[in-house]
Amino acid sequence: MKIYSIFLYEWKHFINSPFKLLAFLFFIVAAVYGLHNGASLYHKQMAEIERISHNHEVQKQTYISYFDEGKVGPENRPWIDITTPYWAMSYNELHNFKTPSAAMVYSTGQAEQYGFYKRVSIRASPYDSDMTQEIANPERLQTGTLDFAFSILYLLPLLMLIVLYNIKSAETEQGFFNLIEVQVGSSANWLIARIAFYIFLIILSFISLLFYGALLTPVFTNSVTVFLKLLTLSVLYIAFWTVFFFFIIRNGKSILNNTLKMLSIWLIFCFIIPAVVHQSISIIKPANLMTDFIDAKRDQREDLLKQPVDILQEQLYSLYPEIAESELAKDIERSTSAISRSRLALENELTKKSIYPIELDNQAKNHFIAATYWFNPVMMFQNRVNSITQTHYNDYEQYRNEIQELVDMQLRLMVADIWSEKVVDKNRYIEYTSINAN
Amino acid sequence: MWNILLNELRSYSRNRSFLLISIVFLLFLCLSIYLGKLQTNSQNEYYETAKNELRQQWEKIDDVNPHRAAHYGTYVFKKANLLSSLDEGVNSVTGNVLRVEGHVQNEIVHSEASQMQIASKFGKLKSSLLLQYILPLMLFFLAYNSVTNEKQSGRLKLLALQGATISSLVWAKTLSVWFYSVLLLALTILAYSLLNLFTITTDIAIRSMLLFAAYAMFYFVISGLTVYFTMAWKNSAVALTSMLALWIMWTIFLPSILMTSVEKWHQLPSRNTFEVAMKNDRSKGIDGHNPADERGKTLAQQILTEYGVDSLSQLPINFDGIRMQADEEYGYIVWDKHFGNLRTILEKQKQSYQLAGFINPFVSLQNASMGFASSDNLHHSEFLIQVEEYRRDFIKKLNDKHAFGGSKTGDWGWRADNEFYRSIPDFEYQMTSLVKILPKYFIDLFLLVFWSILVSTLLFLGIKKINLL
Repeated sequence: MKIYSIFLYEWKHFINSPFKLLAFLFFIVAAVYGLHNGASLYHKQMAEIERISHNHEVQKQTYISYFDEGKVGPENRPWIDITTPYWAMSYNELHNFKTPSAAMVYSTGQAEQYGFYKRVSIRASPYDSDMTQEIANPERLQTGTLDFAFSILYLLPLLMLIVLYNIKSAETEQGFFNLIEVQVGSSANWLIARIAFYIFLIILSFISLLFYGALLTPVFTNSVTVFLKLLTLSVLYIAFWTVFFFFIIRNGKSILNNTLKMLSIWLIFCFIIPAVVHQSISIIKPANLMTDFIDAKRDQREDLLKQPVDILQEQLYSLYPEIAESELAKDIERSTSAISRSRLALENELTKKSIYPIELDNQAKNHFIAATYWFNPVMMFQNRVNSITQTHYNDYEQYRNEIQELVDMQLRLMVADIWSEKVVDKNRYIEYTSINAN
Repeated sequence: MWNILLNELRSYSRNRSFLLISIVFLLFLCLSIYLGKLQTNSQNEYYETAKNELRQQWEKIDDVNPHRAAHYGTYVFKKANLLSSLDEGVNSVTGNVLRVEGHVQNEIVHSEASQMQIASKFGKLKSSLLLQYILPLMLFFLAYNSVTNEKQSGRLKLLALQGATISSLVWAKTLSVWFYSVLLLALTILAYSLLNLFTITTDIAIRSMLLFAAYAMFYFVISGLTVYFTMAWKNSAVALTSMLALWIMWTIFLPSILMTSVEKWHQLPSRNTFEVAMKNDRSKGIDGHNPADERGKTLAQQILTEYGVDSLSQLPINFDGIRMQADEEYGYIVWDKHFGNLRTILEKQKQSYQLAGFINPFVSLQNASMGFASSDNLHHSEFLIQVEEYRRDFIKKLNDKHAFGGSKTGDWGWRADNEFYRSIPDFEYQMTSLVKILPKYFIDLFLLVFWSILVSTLLFLGIKKINLL
């Protein structure tokens, strides 16, 4: 029997099997729904970024206009003078966005667990409260969004189970498997061909769905490689399940036993192993209550305020050696005021020091999860998909790093201008607003 | 019927592979309870350390102006409760740290989920995961051929000849499967109770019983429906696949779709919109830090009239403290409006989602499970309300001290002593009493009862349709 004949027979069997057909259609509907959910989140975030950018631009122009109008600050705040580097930088309308990748259509990943826009002031830090997730129903977050990745990672194995569960076992139960062996010559080839038909059908549908997703967001414009990476990863994922199911089908003789085994494997890989890993992390490393960060933001900052000027000066010179050579540094009286204005840079260093162990702690959790990938493959695929679609923890860590970099750059510029006694004019202010982490 | 039922139960105990699966499942259940307890202990140990550290820092405050202390503020951490070892609910996606300070009602931040890459899609190994997702599957496999097998093997006729009615047979089959699930459920609650024997309160005991009732009703629905399908379909494989399809719909597909839909029907504002709106409303009130503020000046005039003096310096009190408190009290109106609006939207979403229990009893079970384990959003909101009440009291105490503690207006150098700061109590979360919150879950319980009646009716109708000939 030629492969073509087996494929044709299988096609007829498939379209005449309402349960399999329905399951297949149901999967397609779920995947399309998932793609629309991803696209919806992408467009929502883009619209929000655009709205905030617009407001930010209006605000920025207001401050720039102060220079044209000869104002030094808002009328109801007479103590503000934006011609000084400290106040000009305090009034710097700098925002940073985690622009969503067009590939978010395929996986929303952890995008809903983090903020994606922030006004980066000289007092900002990557763990400020405005870095938290968008306002959302926690019960919805806990249930999770049905995105395309969910359909692929969790529903696709179920679809495979439904279309493959009775291959060979039905013939065995009905007692004509030996007849088939006689007819086809090699029962292994017959089995492979039948399974291959469904795998081929699934991969074909998957590629179509990927293309459909690319119509919803500009995937091809912004991230062509994402398409290919996702395709490769998904084929590998399908191959992973195919291997398991193939051996079950090959060795099984009863429909019920095969179904039970296939379902058990699905439950073990999708539910039990990830749940055990997740539970173990929570016991070994409970949720960080950020006490180091709190200390840096409060007590260590209070302690810094109590430090004598010469200690602060020493710390500042060590941080920015170039200011030690400035003219201002030679004048003790005037440098005291400059030190006071530059203190935020020292506070920023305290915050950075407190963040470092938090990030290490988080990375340790990530390494723990990654170390389980050899027996926790579904989570490996899940996190790989998230990485490809830029919705992974690391992408948001990168975003936090960018924010920290922007804070550092602003402070460096501010301190340099304070110590060179620069008067901020319109051009300089525009330079402040143009600081870019990239 | 009882003889058939006992016979069914005996047959389960004789089935070695079934016994093995049951033992493995039971071991996993016990493991989940034990790990859940370990996690709660580990989290609470860390919580206590952090809480004590922060309290010590507060109690060390000495010779500081009360308003500076208000800016110094404190932090409240969300404690893991005893029942969350059964069902963690929303705890891993909500934050754990809440800053309590003057001028602002902060939001809870730093959720566990944001502190690592994805570790699982369906949550940790809690009893709820096993009881909600896995046990129903076991029930399907136990019941999927209960009637078809009897029909196909001809035993049904034999039993009828011996005097057993179809009705008693079907009910015995249903109840035997249900008893099995209830037994596992009872063992779970028992293991949980034994592990937490000395910490269980009446409230927790009642919550556990309600949890038990909700799950028991859900299992009845599952058992009854599976037996119904075995009556309705000639082929047991079709009955099994139908139930599997239903399981996928109920547990995987519908909850996510329904939850996403209710969030679209009752839309929450974006964080930026929410904050900008709140900031705008706040700007219309008194600015506690700006003496030039017009509304502040009006308040000053009122106080001057009240004390019968001409200038703030003549006041026997510190007007700065009064202005700060007025600023706070205006803030109450703004925060109550905006946070209240959020709570209203979230409540509407919850109510709409609860109604989805009409088409999906799993939704009712999930709601009831999280609710009775005090780990759903209603309990989380109650926690946030308690923290805000504490914050208001905390800041008022500081502002009152600032105003009436002995300083004069403009005297920012005046300091309250350490004894005063130590006298301000720490935040203690009072677990929301069941009586207060129980009516919110009546709909879930009602829907589980409704489904139980519906399934019983289906069984009655199915029994009538069975033709022995």
